[in-house]
Amino acid sequence: MSLLRYESQVRPPLVKGNKEYHQVTEDICRPVESKPSRAWWIGFSISLAFLLFGVVSVTMEVIYGVGQWNLNKTIGWGWDITNFVWWIGIGHAGTLISAILLLFRQGWRTGVNRAAEAMTIFAVMCAGQFPIFHMGRVWDIFFSLPYPNTRGPLWVNFNSPLLWDVFAISTYFTVSLLFWYSGLLPDLASLRDRAKKKWRKLFYGITAFGWTGSTKHWQRHESLSLVLAGLSTPLVLSVHTIVSFDFATSVIPGWHTTIFPPYFVAGAIFSGFAMVQTLLVITRKVLGLEQYITIEHIEVMNKVIILTGSIVGIAYLTELFMSWYGANQYESFAFMENRLNLNSPYGWSYWIMMGCNVLSPQIFWSSKMRRNITITFFMSILVNIGMWFERFVIIVTSVYRDYLPSSWSTYYTPSIWEIGFYLGTFGLFFTCYFLFTKYFPVVALAEIKHILKRSGDGYKNKMNEIEKQGSDDFVKEHSHDHGA
Amino acid sequence: MAVKKFIVGSFDDEAVLFPAVKQVRKSGYKIHDVFTPFPIHGLDKVMGLRDTSIHTAGFIYGITGTATALGFITWVATKDWPLNIGGKPFFSLPAWIPIIFELTVLFSAVGMVLTFCYLCQMAPFVKKDHFNLRSTDDLFVMALECTEKTNEKEAVAFLQNVGATDVVVDYKETEWWLGRYDKEIKIFEKGKQ
Amino acid sequence: MSIREKFEITKKYSLLSYVLMTIGVLSVLLLYINYGSSEDEHDRSRFWASLLQNSVFFLLVVNAAMFFICTTILAWGGWATSFRRIPEAISSAVPVIGIICGAILLAIVFGGDHAIYHWTDTEHVKHDPILLHKSGFLNKTFFTVWTVLTIFLWWVLGKKIRSLSHSTDIGPMGVEVGKKFIWKNTIWAALFMIVFSLTVMSTIPWLWLMSIDAHWYSTMYSWYTFASTFVSGMALIALYVVYLKNKGYLEYTNQEHLHDLGKFMFGFSVFWTYLWFSQYMLIWYSNQPEETIYFQPRVNGVYKIVFFFSLIINFLGPLLLLMKRDAKRNYMTITLLAVLIIFGHWLDFFQMVHPGPSRDHVPMILYDLGIAAGFVGLIMFLTGRTLSKHALVPKYHPFFKESVIHHT
Repeated sequence: MSLLRYESQVRPPLVKGNKEYHQVTEDICRPVESKPSRAWWIGFSISLAFLLFGVVSVTMEVIYGVGQWNLNKTIGWGWDITNFVWWIGIGHAGTLISAILLLFRQGWRTGVNRAAEAMTIFAVMCAGQFPIFHMGRVWDIFFSLPYPNTRGPLWVNFNSPLLWDVFAISTYFTVSLLFWYSGLLPDLASLRDRAKKKWRKLFYGITAFGWTGSTKHWQRHESLSLVLAGLSTPLVLSVHTIVSFDFATSVIPGWHTTIFPPYFVAGAIFSGFAMVQTLLVITRKVLGLEQYITIEHIEVMNKVIILTGSIVGIAYLTELFMSWYGANQYESFAFMENRLNLNSPYGWSYWIMMGCNVLSPQIFWSSKMRRNITITFFMSILVNIGMWFERFVIIVTSVYRDYLPSSWSTYYTPSIWEIGFYLGTFGLFFTCYFLFTKYFPVVALAEIKHILKRSGDGYKNKMNEIEKQGSDDFVKEHSHDHGA
Repeated sequence: MAVKKFIVGSFDDEAVLFPAVKQVRKSGYKIHDVFTPFPIHGLDKVMGLRDTSIHTAGFIYGITGTATALGFITWVATKDWPLNIGGKPFFSLPAWIPIIFELTVLFSAVGMVLTFCYLCQMAPFVKKDHFNLRSTDDLFVMALECTEKTNEKEAVAFLQNVGATDVVVDYKETEWWLGRYDKEIKIFEKGKQ
Repeated sequence: MSIREKFEITKKYSLLSYVLMTIGVLSVLLLYINYGSSEDEHDRSRFWASLLQNSVFFLLVVNAAMFFICTTILAWGGWATSFRRIPEAISSAVPVIGIICGAILLAIVFGGDHAIYHWTDTEHVKHDPILLHKSGFLNKTFFTVWTVLTIFLWWVLGKKIRSLSHSTDIGPMGVEVGKKFIWKNTIWAALFMIVFSLTVMSTIPWLWLMSIDAHWYSTMYSWYTFASTFVSGMALIALYVVYLKNKGYLEYTNQEHLHDLGKFMFGFSVFWTYLWFSQYMLIWYSNQPEETIYFQPRVNGVYKIVFFFSLIINFLGPLLLLMKRDAKRNYMTITLLAVLIIFGHWLDFFQMVHPGPSRDHVPMILYDLGIAAGFVGLIMFLTGRTLSKHALVPKYHPFFKESVIHHT
């Protein structure tokens, strides 16, 4: 076992400000332990207002039925399912950061994973609302569960992708929550042990489950995290895959294409990272965590954005190409006329999607752009818009013109309650996020401490000696630390 | 419930802790536990702890999930109420893979977390004696269990010698109990064993 | 133990590579005599299909090694530095195999036979509305230009990235020089990636493989092909690591690195299965004749055994045998699984290519195996030659030290 904490000096430090362990605890616990700022209160109030608007909108829909929305005969899925897919996609970045990057041992994830995972959970909560309320008779939601019932017993249809969704999303929510919370335990214990106020001791005492930091517990905790990461990785792929199956198993032109599963996953991660950027650019500033969520983190995430954006771009082009190559007139009509043609009713949405998702992220080839906070923030919003339009394009442009021109829909614009529902989920999302930043440590404490002596700038400076050491000497000193 | 006497040494650097653990073990002291603010790779090996088999449990839970899903859906779709759906066979395995997979993951994850909580004796309202509150902040705390043979002074000196910044002798409860962290309920008398 | 800096090709190694190449050449000859020289077009197509399958598969596999290097460069991965000369050496086989493959492809396109690529039959295309529609893409000119350009770009970019790596052997570089070095690598790797995504991830599998079933299409096809060859590439790298370790080279590569290679083999086997399932399930589910036609000979026809057998060895094998940590750290298991994976994906390519020209009966696989042996020998020869030319360990690479202390 090597005790050597070394990392190449070529890599920029991930924790700045010459921190020691105690300082890390202080910095990260400060926002939790101090009174919330004015900005927090303002943000929180606005979120609550949005949430209330959402509650009103949903109430309208529950009382008067789905007719409150402007869905019509061929556009049976409109804003609701667009928003559903959009939110569920947002969630994917959190799992990617916490699970997949853990498996790939990307050190920078420690700065951002906790917030990203929290974002995942809130986003999945928001996503779930849409299919639930889209059912219309929401009180019958338990019909979607396989239980011995009084109707036969007639079971749910296990061959239906919509049922797969029920399983996928509930599993995804549960596992993400468990993963997030089991990672939080040690940090909650830190808060508990620092607590001065009675209610804090009580609250963090309960939530930390009696964590002590025993070596045996850490050993199990590490193993648990690793396996949960291993499980979450295929899980996160499966969730958006199954969402894509909702479309791809059908024979609707523009929906039925085999590349949908991996392309949806890439798009999900793409949009999720954009949301992570939006949140963290603000969070690091407001909570004063710039030394933990550094510009390096922002830059790396921008790299992920350009990567996933380009993957999505390849998928768009593949789809487009195949719609021509496949020589199926309906398929090519869906693409060439309903989407590509700027003069068709929804042509504009296709080009917003292309512009925001494929073209605009290309500015991140320049490292100056990647390291510019304002640009990053702006781009993250743009990508979120673009990814919303991707789902809108897929759904609406494929269904608004039926096979028969006589059943082509009139132009679809959402009603105020549809918009209100969407804004309401923003309210829900940000209310949860504000509460999270107030009551939970936004950066993973224990994980930052774990990488501190390797990636902290103070410690990296001390590594100069090792860096200068010749390779042969270095090897002589350290390579015997290993087995085999 | 067992209250025992411990010699508690605190270290402020894991690089000191490591050789210290080795030396302490070599000299025959019984390490009750080491409490650290973050996981230290290899510490379990140095302390002579057995590898955890929690991942094996996870595998078994996963398999259970697979079997449950496959078995249940098969029974529903081929025995209990077979339905012709889109002209597909009753036994439509490809269409079931997604749910089978989800349940595999669900069983495995939930089972593992529950197992983890059970093994570590963790739950809301569970309270345990802390040896040093700063062990969740910046200190690495090693607790030596005193037996009849242990010479207290010697042990304290030994710990200081191997690099502990702070050494105290204390009585601690080794098990968990139900309690709240905002209330100090002593369920034992200090010094009584 | 004294450290040997360069790989010395042993007699056994070169003998084996020559024997394998001889087997390959003999198989080609035998296949040519029995089928290739036949009067019957379908017999001839059996000969060319076999060459096509093998050359494309092995070209994509050796090129996947370069893809692996570029990914590590772009992701700033340090762990693979201690053995990165292996994927480099493997990728140095791209030019030779590329030329062979290109020659075979062009021979099939221009050879006058149309059993493999129906779209080359200009007379037939005139009366086939679908092929006529596709002729903007499926035509000899585009095929030739794009094939030649692709192989050339892989060759040149790969060479550039390899030479960048070899440039570190001169001596230690400071931190600043190191940063510049990484920067330069990043640019070239990104260029390679762009080319890679425009070729392997999209157009090339459409042109080379999917156009065998010229009426059929699947958007997933290219990514599926990529997954197949990438996991085989990782297996090939792992095989070389094990071999060189056994010979006493690569003193800084150990079980930790092997463990990570094992994870790649495991993870991407599952990824391949994921793509396999997605493609198959979606076509099975929507059940449209124009799409299911592809799976007809494979699932219901004579290729059934090959089709499902390849699924079993490419999915269940790695899943069950590589799941445990100890298995990934065991040289024996990794060797076994690597061979299995390469064979499995080769078999997958077999069922991708042959049902096109030979729908009603599975060709005798021994010939194909013989030709595969020839390509393996050729890869051994080319890789061994490159390995023996340069230092095996890039000692002065900025991430070298990280790789030495790497642990999982």
